[in-house]
Amino acid sequence: MNTSSIPSPASSTGLAKGSKIKLEDGEEAVRYILEAARAAGATSADALYLSGVDETVGVRKGEIEKVHAAQSRGIGIRVFAGQRQSSVATSDFGADHLKSLVERAVAMAQHTAEDPYAGLPDRILPPAIDPVRLFPEEDHIPSRDELIERAKAAEAAALGFDPRITNSEGAECARSRTHVVFGNSLGFLHGYRKSSYTLSCSVIATSKDQMERDYWYVSGPLWESTENSEEIGLKAASRTVSRLGARRIKTGTYPVIFDPETARSLIGHFAGAVSGSALYRNATYLKGREGTPVMNPCMTLREDPFLRGAPGSRPFDGEGLPTRKKTLVDAGVLQTFLFDTYSARKLGRQSTANAVRSLGDGPGVGISNLIVEPGTLSQEALLKKAGTGLLVTELIGFGVSTVTGDYSRGAFGYWFEDGVILHPVSEITLAGTLDEIYKNIVDRGSDLEIRSSINSPSLLVEGLRIAGE
Amino acid sequence: MSDIVRFFEDRVEGSQESLATALGEVALSSEVDDADLYFEHTTREHYSLEDGLVKKAGQEVSQGVGARIVSGEKTGFAFTEELSPRQIALALESARRIARGSGGGRPLSLSRPGRPGLDLYPTTDLALDRPVPEKIEILATIDRLCRTESSRVVQVMASLAFEQKTLQIVRADGQVVVDRIPLTRLNVSVIAQEGENRQTGSYGWGGRTGFSAIASPENLAHACREAVRMALVNLSAKPCPSGTMDVVLGPGWPGILLHEAIGHGLEGDFNRKGTSAFSGRIGQRVASPLCTIVDDGTLPGRRGSLNVDDEGTPTQRTVLIENGILKGYLQDRQNARLMGTRSTGNGRRESYAHPVMPRMTNTVMLPGETDPAEILASLDRGIYAVNFGGGQVDITSGKFVFSMSEAYYVEKGKILHPVKGATLIGNGPDVLTQVCMVGTDMSLDTGVGTCGKDGQSVPVGVGLPTIRVDGLTVGGTT
Repeated sequence: MNTSSIPSPASSTGLAKGSKIKLEDGEEAVRYILEAARAAGATSADALYLSGVDETVGVRKGEIEKVHAAQSRGIGIRVFAGQRQSSVATSDFGADHLKSLVERAVAMAQHTAEDPYAGLPDRILPPAIDPVRLFPEEDHIPSRDELIERAKAAEAAALGFDPRITNSEGAECARSRTHVVFGNSLGFLHGYRKSSYTLSCSVIATSKDQMERDYWYVSGPLWESTENSEEIGLKAASRTVSRLGARRIKTGTYPVIFDPETARSLIGHFAGAVSGSALYRNATYLKGREGTPVMNPCMTLREDPFLRGAPGSRPFDGEGLPTRKKTLVDAGVLQTFLFDTYSARKLGRQSTANAVRSLGDGPGVGISNLIVEPGTLSQEALLKKAGTGLLVTELIGFGVSTVTGDYSRGAFGYWFEDGVILHPVSEITLAGTLDEIYKNIVDRGSDLEIRSSINSPSLLVEGLRIAGE
Repeated sequence: MSDIVRFFEDRVEGSQESLATALGEVALSSEVDDADLYFEHTTREHYSLEDGLVKKAGQEVSQGVGARIVSGEKTGFAFTEELSPRQIALALESARRIARGSGGGRPLSLSRPGRPGLDLYPTTDLALDRPVPEKIEILATIDRLCRTESSRVVQVMASLAFEQKTLQIVRADGQVVVDRIPLTRLNVSVIAQEGENRQTGSYGWGGRTGFSAIASPENLAHACREAVRMALVNLSAKPCPSGTMDVVLGPGWPGILLHEAIGHGLEGDFNRKGTSAFSGRIGQRVASPLCTIVDDGTLPGRRGSLNVDDEGTPTQRTVLIENGILKGYLQDRQNARLMGTRSTGNGRRESYAHPVMPRMTNTVMLPGETDPAEILASLDRGIYAVNFGGGQVDITSGKFVFSMSEAYYVEKGKILHPVKGATLIGNGPDVLTQVCMVGTDMSLDTGVGTCGKDGQSVPVGVGLPTIRVDGLTVGGTT
């Protein structure tokens, strides 16, 4: 089922020995390497080409601190020898090198295990949507000086916000443009280009012998995404100053509100636990839970790969299958796991077009854009509803297992009583299990904003264990 | 090792003279304090096993040249993946724009490429030169050994990764340094199940070693035994208590405490900018007199070791804390110059595509005088933590966390039962003042550490004797 012929390369790829593949032409590079794989004896193959232009400027205390410019590219190919596979990747586009690397891949594949589930998707389908509708056209590409100007404006606003802002880690403004091309030996060959702009600022506030740092950032698909540079600086500064005077709280069990940034992190673990790869590996606490409650009934989670300009948007997945919208959790009930072709075959299911692909490795499972449906309460109203507890604004550490669902992380936030914030809190941990935490999310805020590939409003969790004094 | 010395000469289309001209033009112009070209060619190979099958094998090649111009506090940086003099000159030109230098440079006189004085890792017996089936056989053996170890093992995932990095650093002083750096890594991860209770256990091993070291039967048997043992221990783990308590850390990898709590805070860039909780504290007491901590890049074969750092400076053993007193910071060339001191050989970068920063190598607490058994016996009520996952630190406030992956609840010096993984949190500048006992049993970790900073990952090592730390906050659930 997985053997196929590889389309012969376009005439333009007739390359002389020692020549280089043209940097700008991803399609040509993918065609060339697929043809090289066929010639080397691969029965099928898929290939990913990535190229990018990145520029980052950093300013600190009003002075330019760094300027980084990069033009990079890479190509990766996965080859099959029947039901055996291997993958190779390189940043060297010399035609001879590409050929010998692909030959190496085919040779390596002879030694890996025969796996009845391995292979390309059964058939190819057109991309779900015209990339132009996902990634807005840029009408202005900023110069380096414009990037510097915005970083300076953000930092200046932050430094001027309050006399307690005493130092700076600086502000950065960055742009990148990426070209993605994916093709396989079934004849799929499509690509898209996307841009990203980021502006971030991080400052330090001091009082007595305490020093605190915080930051804020914005990112988006257009230069306009970063135009409110002063706002970014002011928000970074106010977040930082408000941390001064942080202290611990008494160990106990309290209501906890995760702000949208930390809620994103909490929901991100769920995206890992619903992976079909984790499912067939017995490596998720959600095994066997489809069709059953996995969150509080107030929770509905959707995946939307078509959000214009959102970072996870894509017209096809890492295996070239057309992406689609889906509901992951409906009123607390788990609707589906996420599958790539391999995990789906292994479990007798269909791919949900959730393959993600990197240059150096075959596909894995991942999500495009995940959205938690917002509620109706403002964050203030959520605080009132919770009464007394902790508002969490930063989480650190890696103490989360999607295998067992155990959750334990360091946290920073604000203690509130009767819905009113009293003081900042640091050096504490939050702990529980993901299963309990998700079921104890009793309400959501209305403050959903699409800032990332995982997006959530504030979430109110009842009864979370906090370790402190 | 003429193949290493000549490696880039053979690859760069063009002469050493053209490089010398391009670099000299910017490096020797006024307002430029430092400049370098970093040539890198890296081959990585990886193999992975799950469900009893070696399903994946692969190889990656990356090569490129990073160009860096430093002027005061400013850094201009660009890279190219084409090893042509024209592209290299363009990268240099792009990097130099940050230093509004007045030009007037002249060609450098470059030294013949030279190998470093240190010789900490093998240049033969490299894993990449061995036939593929030998490497696949290692993974098959691991699967068999783990499943033989216990019938409760329901999944074995194992991976092997090998890297060989060849680099040539062309410095502004005309010195040209070449090195070839191997890195091997083995990881075994198992899931054990009893009823509905699923738990994981893992063991990692690695270093700058040859192939034979990783493939030895004793090494593989130990790795599998440890991974399975940890999973079985976790099957009987009870919920971890929460709150502030005394903690005994076992030897080896728990040294991640040092890395997070103080190591990052002593990196030169944060201290030059005054953004670290340790800024301006040289000569002050920051730890109990029992603590002496060094960063040592010269330990043969260790994961964090290097003959020279990524600026061509020989690595060294740097005393960070001596008998509790803060002695020094970790420096690269730029931060050392700005702070009026010398590089400690800690200028590191992930690759040609990343700029240099001060980073740790192997960060180690030297052994003390107490019998480790006595340290555990002294614990009235608390946690004995022998293995950890990752950690993280907020440099400015000093708050750090690290997550236990194998730990026990102790009362009156006796281990009562294993506890579930939990996060420990503390304050970097305080935590080492709370160390009240240091054991004789210093050991280095098994070679698993990867440190992330500003988006760059580099391999590192840690080492710790058994220590007792009073008053750490334990993030349990009961």
